[in-house]
Amino acid sequence: MATNSASTFAPADDGVYVIEIERFHGPLDLLLHLIRQQDIDVFDIPIARITRQFLEAIQGIGPGDLDQAGEFLEMAATLIRIKAQLLLPRPESDDDEDPRAELVRRLLEYEQIREISQRLERAEADRARRRVRGYVPPRPRAVVEETPLETTWDEVYEAALGVSLPESRVSEHRVTPRTVSMDSRVALILDRLGRGAGLPFTSFLGAGENRMHGVMTLLAGLELTRRRAIFLRQTAPFHELWLYRREDDDPEVLAEEEPA
Amino acid sequence: MRPEQIVEAILFASDAPLRAEEIARADEALDEDQVEVAIQQLRQLYLESERAFDLVEVAGGHQLLTRPEFAGYLERFDTIPRPSRLSGPALETLAIIAYRQPIGRLEVEYVRGVGASGVIRTLQERGLVDVVGRGEGIGRPLLYGTTQRFLEHFGFESMESLPRPDELPVVLRDRSMTILPDESPEDPDQEELPLDDPTGEHR
Repeated sequence: MATNSASTFAPADDGVYVIEIERFHGPLDLLLHLIRQQDIDVFDIPIARITRQFLEAIQGIGPGDLDQAGEFLEMAATLIRIKAQLLLPRPESDDDEDPRAELVRRLLEYEQIREISQRLERAEADRARRRVRGYVPPRPRAVVEETPLETTWDEVYEAALGVSLPESRVSEHRVTPRTVSMDSRVALILDRLGRGAGLPFTSFLGAGENRMHGVMTLLAGLELTRRRAIFLRQTAPFHELWLYRREDDDPEVLAEEEPA
Repeated sequence: MRPEQIVEAILFASDAPLRAEEIARADEALDEDQVEVAIQQLRQLYLESERAFDLVEVAGGHQLLTRPEFAGYLERFDTIPRPSRLSGPALETLAIIAYRQPIGRLEVEYVRGVGASGVIRTLQERGLVDVVGRGEGIGRPLLYGTTQRFLEHFGFESMESLPRPDELPVVLRDRSMTILPDESPEDPDQEELPLDDPTGEHR
């Protein structure tokens, strides 16, 4: 938590302050550090001096982190705006707020948050010294043996392009009308299934039909099974699913109806 | 079976704190008062027999936890869950949410001066904060609050166990308060600042 130790902010040989920008949690952290380090009265911040030091400190932000740069630049812009407001002649009304007031409020508030988060860190450490009775959620064991990667970079790249990004938690659920009705599929199955004969599930799916056709055909198959018009067979997981017309005099079917 | 045995069995097997009324549901013959008495008896028993664990009040419930002085012996075992620790930015974000809840992401970002969406998502995934409502304004922003898991993670009995803002030693404020009267006793801006209301609106 102690990100801004004295060593990160020390006068260099030429009198210029050297700051490792990565050590700071953000622009307020840096600003707080500058003010504390120089014993500046927070209610009378020398804006010109602080702004100069702030701008010097953020020189080191690389082009690789635009988000971070943006956050620091936004604060720099705020400092410059405050300085400009201070230079402008101010109306003589008493209720006119010091342009620095909002910044001071944020600094005080941020410092308080820092203090609280340090307290939380201590509470976390104390709590970590006590353990619950050892329940460790079972971890999946890696049983796959190491195999050499027999693929080209192009293939990896192509595969990576095909990976869809995880959907955000707050995803919108779109309700779309079904393009295929289940009833039409029920009719299709009954029409095609002759008495006693079986047909593979895939034979009900024509060329050019999409996933929705497959889903609705499966639902129709399940519905007909429920109505005891047909029955389904599959020899092993992921194998072809067969649909059979149900016949009441079929001894095997009758036997299946007996409770085990 | 005696009530304290039943209570002990339940607390031994549970991996989250349980409240007395929850424990009482184990048996029709058991009521909340009996559970409370049983918990006191167990606590006394563990103390007298110098057990390596005791019954601790966490997040409004009761939990069996090892005593802190044994932490060193437990650390090298893979079979003993190691508590995870939060990063500095995660702790700061959690502090803001804990004290300002319900609070939206933009407000959190204003207080810290940096983006917060990634940190909030992480905290949400770990069950420490959750969406508690929607705010007014454009887009009805999601509002976040801390969870029961938050109290458990830090070993707090309730939200009242968190440090009160007015008991925090705030360096900037302390120093300025002592310097100001000497240097600029008539500074009108002094009164503009929310010195006594650090938890109030910051806008």
